[in-house]
Amino acid sequence: MSISESHLAQEAIAALVDGELTAGPATRAARHLSGCMQCRLAVEAQREAKEALHESRDVAVPGDLVSRLCAIPFTTDVPGPGGGDFGNLTAGPGGLTMQGESGAWSVDLQPQDRPQRPGHARWLRRGLAGTMIGLGAGITALALNLPASGVADPEPNGPVAGPTAPEEHTEVVPPVVRTLTVGNSAATPAPGGTP
Amino acid sequence: MSEPAVAPAALQPEADVWVAPTWEQVVRDHSARVYRLAYRLSGNAQDAEDLTQETFVRVFRSLADFSPGTFEGWLHRITTNLFLDMVRRRQRIRFDALPEDTERLPGSAPSPEQVYADTHLDPQVQAALDALSPEFRVAVVLCDIEGLTYEEIAATLGIKLGTVRSRIHRGRVQLRQALAHLAPRRPAVEAGGAPA
Repeated sequence: MSISESHLAQEAIAALVDGELTAGPATRAARHLSGCMQCRLAVEAQREAKEALHESRDVAVPGDLVSRLCAIPFTTDVPGPGGGDFGNLTAGPGGLTMQGESGAWSVDLQPQDRPQRPGHARWLRRGLAGTMIGLGAGITALALNLPASGVADPEPNGPVAGPTAPEEHTEVVPPVVRTLTVGNSAATPAPGGTP
Repeated sequence: MSEPAVAPAALQPEADVWVAPTWEQVVRDHSARVYRLAYRLSGNAQDAEDLTQETFVRVFRSLADFSPGTFEGWLHRITTNLFLDMVRRRQRIRFDALPEDTERLPGSAPSPEQVYADTHLDPQVQAALDALSPEFRVAVVLCDIEGLTYEEIAATLGIKLGTVRSRIHRGRVQLRQALAHLAPRRPAVEAGGAPA
């Protein structure tokens, strides 16, 4: 009765219910509450709202959602292929491992022994196919790149001599020719007759 | 809640070498929590699924930035930010399209039975939660359902501690008013008038 100065601040009421008041303010709040019905009701209302939410915490995650989440590595575009976000991406038997500065993550490519759902199987298959295509593309790119240097190397003596280069490789050769021409330009006029 | 927070740590005892968790383990360990949060925030299964999916996509894309010990806070932050983005996007769309009916978010309204079957939360409680403004709802859900401290909530939402307190307080007041008819425990005492 005597303490009718001011009611508890709203923030203090919430904080009191959540145990977020430090000792001093908590004691003062308790003292005020003992004499103030209005604040007691306010505290009680906060508590009831909290309890209403707290009562049950279980939510069942839909099974197909979990499957979709598991498929994210196969269905998500990662910005900047081969760079940026992943420090290092390596493929091992049955999985991919990503290595960043903060740790490593592996992505299992093996189908797990989960109960197979049609939706999941589709996602996984598509994901695997995508990965394989991706790997295939990488290997193809490598394969395409290797011969270029392989062809240029065996003929160190006469890249300028046009005839030795077969027609199919003309797209590869010209830069080499041009580079050599530039390098030699001071010494001799090109014998091959570059335009 | 009882788990020791970080997924990678849980895998350690097996060997001395740190074993990277598989993506599947990450999903298994965290999808329920993310989905629950998404559901409490959005109030319906469709949005909750979309939010969960998007959250994990973000997680996957930035795994390299992950630092141990922050995983759950990180998930909370991504999920709530995605939710608030979604709400703002829809508000923009709605204000452009139909000026009236600004009360609630558009969205499919599942039957109460469906809500309960999905969430095990009293449909009326979920409805009361849905009626809160998104900012209040986020604060209240993080506090009362996810069990975060005020400080964690402030960090998650990037707001001040005082703002956290007042949002939680006002959110709960509204929640309590919306549920007033459900409280048989204290019949007439309230006649004095609950402070708004």
